[in-house]
Amino acid sequence: MNLKLALRNVFRNRRRTLFSLLVIGVGVTLLSFVLGFVAEALRSTERSLALELGALQVGDARVLEGRASGLEALISPSDLDKVVGLVRTVEGSRISPQLNFAGLIGNEKGSTLLLARGVVPEDCMADYVCMLVAGRPLAEREAREVVLGERLAGKLNLRPGDTVNVAAGTVNGTLNASTVTVVGTLRLSNAQLEERFALVPLGFAQRLVRTTGVERVLIWIEDLAEAPQVRTQLEQRLKDAGLSFSVRTWQDLSPFFESIGTFWRAFSGLTSLAIFVLVFFSVLEVLTISFLERTREVATVRALGVPWSRVFGNFVLEGMAVGFLGGLAGVMGGIFLGLVFNALGLTFVPPGGTMPQPIRVAVGLQTLVVPFLLALLATAASSVYPGWKNARLNVAEALRAV
Amino acid sequence: MNGQGFCYARGDPVLQAQKVSKIYALGKEKVKALDEVDFLSTQGDFVVINGPSGSGKTTLLNLLALIDRPSQGEVLFEGKPTSKLSERDLAFLRRQRIGLVFQTFNLIPVLTAAENVEYPLLLLNLSRQEREQRVRSLLEEVGLDGLGRRRPDELSGGQRQRVAIARALVTQPRVVLADEPTANLDSTTGKQIMGLLQNLNGEHCVTFVVVTHDPAVPPYAQRVLDIRDGKIQGERYVADRPA
Repeated sequence: MNLKLALRNVFRNRRRTLFSLLVIGVGVTLLSFVLGFVAEALRSTERSLALELGALQVGDARVLEGRASGLEALISPSDLDKVVGLVRTVEGSRISPQLNFAGLIGNEKGSTLLLARGVVPEDCMADYVCMLVAGRPLAEREAREVVLGERLAGKLNLRPGDTVNVAAGTVNGTLNASTVTVVGTLRLSNAQLEERFALVPLGFAQRLVRTTGVERVLIWIEDLAEAPQVRTQLEQRLKDAGLSFSVRTWQDLSPFFESIGTFWRAFSGLTSLAIFVLVFFSVLEVLTISFLERTREVATVRALGVPWSRVFGNFVLEGMAVGFLGGLAGVMGGIFLGLVFNALGLTFVPPGGTMPQPIRVAVGLQTLVVPFLLALLATAASSVYPGWKNARLNVAEALRAV
Repeated sequence: MNGQGFCYARGDPVLQAQKVSKIYALGKEKVKALDEVDFLSTQGDFVVINGPSGSGKTTLLNLLALIDRPSQGEVLFEGKPTSKLSERDLAFLRRQRIGLVFQTFNLIPVLTAAENVEYPLLLLNLSRQEREQRVRSLLEEVGLDGLGRRRPDELSGGQRQRVAIARALVTQPRVVLADEPTANLDSTTGKQIMGLLQNLNGEHCVTFVVVTHDPAVPPYAQRVLDIRDGKIQGERYVADRPA
């Protein structure tokens, strides 16, 4: 009966109720859109970081923390075999050792700084294929090949098939140089990095810097969220095997992601707060009028012996019924808006970026539940003051006044 | 007393007021609405408190209904003082032992007639079946058989007051207090309503206390108290009540 009474009271003044539902519905729709956008932005950043960094990396702690260059603390071939053996016990993992080095790249037309990454083509090249804009991926581990960042290739006026000289410091502190063939160009999301970036086969990188070791081992796993658990497992296994290497997750290696996450969370929080305040005050006004119009009824039911707490509970229930219906409408609006927006296929080039990125919004429970609950909470909160005030009225005075 | 055919034994004291006064503050001025009024009704009484507007009759009714507290004096319910009872205890007594009928019917407009009658039962922990049986039986008794699904705005004034009477009786109270129950009705309907109250009083031995300024009402009572300027001026018994 209480719910029936609450629902009937909700629709007592249809125009007023429609206004409340509209405010709540629009608020929930907008909030679910914003949360969906933020969720998708974070997910997309996560994906691109995981592609770049792997879910986890194994290497010397000083190197992983940026306190030493890769060439100062390498993983020896025998240790690498042990590390690879241990990592392979992690279900669904893919691994790729890397050796990064800095140097110079140039030809007779000019030279420039180079940040090169030695990779095992068959381990990880598939991840770079989608970034290729010309030529082909690296093919052989030992080949003298290079895939250049598109801007770097442009700067040196290089195309697939051209040759170029690469020079780098060796582990002994001397200089070494070699001529390589450009087999492809790729586009990175970071324009600044693309001006200096190149991929070379790991074997070539090792010959150039005169080592047989690697700097770090990148590990990809199916579910990024499991990275911290895998890290703990691997650390224990490395310790048990007498290896002093460290394991870092992609989040440890990209502290800026935490800043981005904090920014987006603050943005979502402020938007949620704004929507809460909007719904709270709009519904507060409507409910105050609606409740005060029922002074006679309240006085009557109180006179009949209904405790004030029950009357108050009924008012809050009524507020929540408005919130529930408005929230439901907003959730449907959010789903519709999200699907329409995604269907438009909009893109944008982020600041410092090179490639148009799709702008999408996530549509799902995680972006709909919070706005819905927020609407419920805001309307329940809106009903507290007018409900309490009305339920606590002086019965005799209220009966006399009507 | 059991089910809908309940009837209380007559004679026990139900409501008593001992030298009750009620003083209202109107700005800096104090107005004495009731001045040391004594009142006693026993089980099965049909008492009318008769007086003009402003005489203090509704104030007295509110005190007897335990809706308001006296400034001085004591109201006793079933022989027990009520001045020290909490609001919660007073609300408990009202919903368990007291029925109220208002001048303007005061039905809940969004509920049907049957739901309005059922409403006070929701706090009594009765089964749904028991509630429905009581509602059906009372609607039939007040002459509204078949109109239970109508909302108040689909009923005439007389029908609304019958719903209000059914609502007052549905908890099987010891006493029903009615404030000007005929004031918003035409004279014919008013007579019908008073006749109904008289019958219900006879059948269930529920005490009825009716305040009114309608001269057509006192003849239905067993006892009439005249109130003027916050004081009981006189008391008389009615010899020839309408059949």
